[in-house]
Amino acid sequence: MLFSDFIIQIEDLTKIYSVGEIEVKALRGVSLRVEKGEFISIMGASGSGKSTLMNVLGCLDSPTSGVYLLDGKDVSKLAGGSLAKARNKQIGFVFQSFNLLPKLSAAANVELPMIYAGVGAKTRKRRTYAALAKVGLENRMNHKPNELSGGQKQRVAIARALVNDPSIILADEPTGNLDSKSGNEIMEIFRELNAEGATIVMVTHESSIARQTERILSFKDGRIENDSARPLQQIFGIRGVRP
Amino acid sequence: MLAESIASAASSVFGSKTRSILTMLGIVIGISSVIMISSIGRGFQESVNSQFAKMGAASLQITVKYDTDVTAKDLLNLDDVDIVSSHPRVKEAAPLLQSTGKIQLLNPEDYREAYILGCTGDLKSIQTLDMRQGRFLAGPDVSNSTSSAVIDSNLAQKAFGSANPIGKTIQASMWFGTAPLTVVGVYKSDEFGANYFELPSIIYVPITTLMKMDNVSNIDAVYANVDDRGSMERISLEISKLLSLSHRNEDKYSVQNLLDQMDAVNTIVSDVTGFVSLIAAISLFVGGIGVMNIMLVTVTERTREIGIRKSLGATDWNIQLQFLVEAVILTATGGLIGIGAGILGGTLLGSVIDVKPSASISNILAAVLIAGATGIAFGVYPARKAAKLDPIEALRYE
Ligand SMILES: Nc1ncnc2c1ncn2[C@@H]1O[C@H](COP(=O)(O)OP(=O)(O)OP(=O)(O)O)[C@@H](O)[C@H]1O
Ligand SMILES: [Mg+2]
Repeated sequence: MLFSDFIIQIEDLTKIYSVGEIEVKALRGVSLRVEKGEFISIMGASGSGKSTLMNVLGCLDSPTSGVYLLDGKDVSKLAGGSLAKARNKQIGFVFQSFNLLPKLSAAANVELPMIYAGVGAKTRKRRTYAALAKVGLENRMNHKPNELSGGQKQRVAIARALVNDPSIILADEPTGNLDSKSGNEIMEIFRELNAEGATIVMVTHESSIARQTERILSFKDGRIENDSARPLQQIFGIRGVRP
Repeated sequence: MLAESIASAASSVFGSKTRSILTMLGIVIGISSVIMISSIGRGFQESVNSQFAKMGAASLQITVKYDTDVTAKDLLNLDDVDIVSSHPRVKEAAPLLQSTGKIQLLNPEDYREAYILGCTGDLKSIQTLDMRQGRFLAGPDVSNSTSSAVIDSNLAQKAFGSANPIGKTIQASMWFGTAPLTVVGVYKSDEFGANYFELPSIIYVPITTLMKMDNVSNIDAVYANVDDRGSMERISLEISKLLSLSHRNEDKYSVQNLLDQMDAVNTIVSDVTGFVSLIAAISLFVGGIGVMNIMLVTVTERTREIGIRKSLGATDWNIQLQFLVEAVILTATGGLIGIGAGILGGTLLGSVIDVKPSASISNILAAVLIAGATGIAFGVYPARKAAKLDPIEALRYE
C-alpha cells in the first residue's frame, strides 16, 4: 500500500444474506479507504446496507467476499477468537440503542472492554474515570442505565467505546434515539474526540448531523453512490475541507 | 478474568433469589439426603461396632449346632466351661443360659419383658457392663445359687422410681410361676434405640439359680476370650474338637467369631447406605437437569447481554466461562445448603430413631465436589450454547 496510515481499506466488499431460497444482496461491492483522523458520516435510504457495512467494519460480521484490511491487517478471513480480539482492542462501537448492560453501573459498563482485554483492576478504575470524565459523566459513575437520560446513556456508551483506545470508533445512528439537543451534545463529543485525533465513522439519517463531518458517503442499494471527498484527496490522503 | 466471572455470576445468581433457590432445590434435596443417610448409616455402624466392642472383639461364642441331630449328651453343660478354658489360648470362659420373663413394675398392672440371663461373675470380663450401683454377680452367688439379680438402670427406674433399688426385690413371672429376685447391682442401660423401641430389659442372675428355676442341667452357650486374634479360626476348630472329644460326638459345635458377625452387620449397613445413596444420587441427577433447564432459559433471556459482551470483545471462552461459573455457583451453593440441611436432618432423624449421626469430613467434601461437578456437567451445554451465539443475531434479539 502506498500509505500506511489508512486505518481501513476495503476492496469490493459484498455481503449476501440467504433467507431460505431468497438471497438478499446487502452489500454489492463496496470499496473505501479511511485515513487516520478522519470523521466520516454515512447516509442513505433505509435498507441500503449502511448497518451491514458498519457490522463488517466492526468485525461483528464477516463479508461474503472482498478484502478488508484493518490497520493494514486482513481481517476478512479471521477466525472467531481473533475477531473478538479485534473488536476488543481496535474497534469502539456505538449503537443506536446504547446497548448498556442494565444491571451494571455506568462505571462497570465502561470497565467491560478492559476486563476482556485483561487490564488490571487499578488501571481499569483510573481509565474508567478518565473516559467518563471525557464525556462529562464523572459524577454519574455509579448510576445504573435506567437512572440516566438517553443522552447520558449514549455518552456512557461512547466512554465505553473509547476506553480501550481503539483505532476507530464506529457509530451506527448514535443520535437516532435522541432529541436534537442531546444529539448535538453527542456530536460535540465526537467532534472533540476527532479534534484530539480519533478516527470516526458514523451512520446518520439527519443531514444536519452529517454536515458536521468532513466527509459524507451516500449509500444506495448496497453501494457507495457518492463520496464527498474529491478523488485526489482520497488517493493522496490530503485532508478534505469541511464543506 | 476468572475473578470478574465469579463476581458477575454471583451477582446474577443472588440477584434473582427466588429463581435460584427453586433451581437449587433438587441439588439441596439430593445432597442433603446423601449427607443425612450416610451420617445416619455411619452413626448406626459406629453404635453397632461399639456394642460388639463391649463383647470384646476377640470373643468366641460356642453353641451346639442345632441344625444337626442333637441328643441330650451333645448339649453343653457347666463342665464344658472348664474344657473350653483348658485350651491354652483361652483367657476366660463363661457359661450362659437364657430365659425370658416379665418383670412387675412400680404400677402393679405394668410389666416389662425381660431376657433373664444366667451367668457367672466371669461374664464381666467378656462383656463390658457399665455398673452404676451395687455390684455384679460373684462366685458365692453362683456356688450358693442365690436369688441375686443385676438389672439395668431403665428397669430400676421403672420398677422402683427414684428409690434406691439395691436390696429390693423384683418379681419375675416365668413359665413356672413367679420368682422373687433381689437386686444387687444396676448397670447403665443401653441408650441405643431405648426411646423408640420398648426393648426387653436384660437381667443377669447366677446361672445355677436359673438352671434350678428352669429345671435344666444344660447351658445355652459358652463365651470365651482368646488372646490371639490372628489365629481365631484355628482356635475355633480346636475348641470344637476338644468338646467333641469329651462328648464323644463329631462336629456338633459351632464356634462363632464375634468379629465375623460384626463384619456381617457392617456389610448390611453399608449396603443399605449405598442403596439409599444411589437413590439420592438419582435425585441429584434430576436436580442437575433442573439446573441445566434454568441455565438454558437464562441464556435465552440474556441473549442480548451476550451480544453486547461479544461486541465489546468477549471471546466464546469468556462467555462460556461466565455461564459455567454461574451454574457451578448455583449447584455449589445448593450443595452447601444441602450439607447444612443434611446435618440438621440427620440430627433430627437420629434423635427420633436414637442413632447418633456421624457425618464424615470426606462425605461432606465429596458432596461439595459432586455438587460442583453436577454444575459443570449440566452447565456445559447451556454455556456452550451461549458461547456459540452469533454476535449480530444476539444483538438484534428483543
Ligand atoms: N440478518 C439478515 N438477514 C437477512 N437480511 C438482512 C439481514 N440483515 C440485513 N438484511 C437486509 O440487508 C439489507 C441492508 O440492511 P441494513 O440493516 O444494512 O440497512 P440500513 O441501511 O442500515 O437500514 P436502516 O437505515 O433502516 O438502518 C436490508 O434489505 C435488510 O433487509
Ligand atoms: Mg441501519
